[in-house]
Amino acid sequence: MTPDRFAELATAHGGDIGRWPQDLREAARAALASDPHGLGAVLAAEADLDRLLDLAPAQSADAALLGRLLEAAPRPRRSTGAWWAGLAAGLGLAAATVAGVAVGVASGAGERLDRRADAILAAAYEPAEPDTTAEALPELLDEATDL
Amino acid sequence: MASEGEDPDLALVEGVGRGEQAAVRRLLDARLPRILALARRLLADPDEAQDVAQETFLRAWKQAPSWRPGQARFDTWLHRVALNLCRDRLRRRRETAMAQPPEMIDAGPTGEGALLGVQIGGRIEAALAALPERQREAIVLCHHQGMGNKEAAALLGVSVETLESLLGRGRRTLRAALADLMEAVR
Repeated sequence: MTPDRFAELATAHGGDIGRWPQDLREAARAALASDPHGLGAVLAAEADLDRLLDLAPAQSADAALLGRLLEAAPRPRRSTGAWWAGLAAGLGLAAATVAGVAVGVASGAGERLDRRADAILAAAYEPAEPDTTAEALPELLDEATDL
Repeated sequence: MASEGEDPDLALVEGVGRGEQAAVRRLLDARLPRILALARRLLADPDEAQDVAQETFLRAWKQAPSWRPGQARFDTWLHRVALNLCRDRLRRRRETAMAQPPEMIDAGPTGEGALLGVQIGGRIEAALAALPERQREAIVLCHHQGMGNKEAAALLGVSVETLESLLGRGRRTLRAALADLMEAVR
């Protein structure tokens, strides 16, 4: 490698031969060994520029940017097995809901029936207002029958 | 640097594609700072750099589930996306005639300590921004991003000889523009 070529490469790739194209490093080191003073000065001058360029501002990610990127990242995909398990769980939940509603309706009817029976018994055995009881009793019985 | 055919990010990208949050975090830790730095040095604007980094990774999230090993290193793909986004923004700046030079920080000889550091950083950023676009890209990719000449040349769509020429011309211009600062780093 000629000194001129060495200087061209230093101008392009900087003062650290370790950062030059890999296929040129061995020849560059051999050239440097043959002229350590002259070519060493070339490298030193380029290393000064390298250090200056290293001072070009970079920046770090702020928390908001990281948060947005984490939020937008892919989520785990369900496997086929998990899909079927989810479907089964969903069906089970639906069945349980239907059963629960049915039980709820039935128990609600029972409660209302009990309340009406209590009212009928109260009206029969504790007639605080006889006239009212006489009028109310058929109505209460009708309601109980409807249930 | 990984050799050709070897992608140090492959396992992480596959993890991201499966929705593994640990892989997402590790990939962001490893690559987001590099992409932010690339965008900042190409655009000389911190807000636009954040926007470009965000868009780059949003595209990466879409790409990850169908990523095929062997087509390119993921880091190179990220650089290509970010580079194109930066070029789009620079083109829009020119087209809309709003391309104010990046905010020039007065590099007068008055600063000390941190202020001097900020001033020097601002001077270098401004000098980079003043370079022709291809020269700036070459220097940022090779010097700041540490890319090899073949990888950088492929990314820029030029030969390695052309890349060397872009680097040489760019660095000579920077040396002249920053000559007064050279003493500060000796």
